[in-house]
Amino acid sequence: MNPVMIIVPFFLLPGKKELQSADIVKITVPEIVVHAGESSVIKIKIEIKKGYHIQANKVNDEYLVPTILAISDYKTIKPGIPQYPRSKKIQLEDTDIFLDIYDGVFEIKIPVTVAKEIPKGKHRIKGTLQYQACDNKICLFPKTIAFSFTIKVI
Amino acid sequence: MKSILRSLFVLFITCFSIVVKAQEQQPMLGQMAPSFTLKALDGKTYSLDQLRGKYVVIHFAATWCPFCNAEAPYLQQLFISYRDKGVEVFIVDVKEDKALVEKSFARFGFSFPVLLDEDGTVSARYAPAGVQPDLARHEVPLASNLLIDKEGKIRFYSLLNTTNFDARLTKLKEKLDALLYSN
Repeated sequence: MNPVMIIVPFFLLPGKKELQSADIVKITVPEIVVHAGESSVIKIKIEIKKGYHIQANKVNDEYLVPTILAISDYKTIKPGIPQYPRSKKIQLEDTDIFLDIYDGVFEIKIPVTVAKEIPKGKHRIKGTLQYQACDNKICLFPKTIAFSFTIKVI
Repeated sequence: MKSILRSLFVLFITCFSIVVKAQEQQPMLGQMAPSFTLKALDGKTYSLDQLRGKYVVIHFAATWCPFCNAEAPYLQQLFISYRDKGVEVFIVDVKEDKALVEKSFARFGFSFPVLLDEDGTVSARYAPAGVQPDLARHEVPLASNLLIDKEGKIRFYSLLNTTNFDARLTKLKEKLDALLYSN
């Protein structure tokens, strides 16, 4: 095949496919194993699509939408206060405004305490993550996405 | 082989130029601006149709939007500089509660109207066809600036997806000056 014929369609392709907010944040939680009556720390892995960032948990402007992780509170599995990672500072192009953000891959840790009387076996836990994502050109509307994971009680 | 490489290089440069030019092109230029009637924070109702004969600058905003907030002081400056030259400035806040908008924007001391597009309908009408197809249409114009001429046609549209962020509104003012001083 003529190499030109390969290159032309490649360069004339329209720009990158636009992303929905849900495509920008990926949440992964490994299965947790914990003894009844004990505590553990869940490490929730968050991956932000390359080129994007989300506002940090602590923002320097009260009207920005912070990242907030919440785990449902069950009678026998009690979540503690989430521990957010250290944020990065970025300067907004063409301004003297700095934003506190997360990007790349990071973890939010959340302690859980499992009651003594909980039945042994796997328990499905639900959570939500609120975030507001931007890249260097656009900001997407704030989203709250749901996720779930399993705690295995032994 | 050399000629093939030369052809490829020329092709690359040509295609790169096309892509760059396409990215710089503003959408909806020359089109009639979609009409709207919206209530403002000041309680008054503003209609685009009633503004014929004036230049109108519209900025689509939300209180949580860092680009919008960065631009806010410069929008106020622009209003002060151009208000005696037949230029009206409006913010269209997209899908937010009036009380929140009122509280948040109070810090900027806007002396021009802030309109409330509570259901995002107006914003959606300003979303150029085919741009960011996976987003809800009301999300697309956020943080963009438009300049509408005296006849109601769009003469400048800095859709953030297609242009670099210009917090100081330099390009918008250049276009405004060009229109004002060419007449």
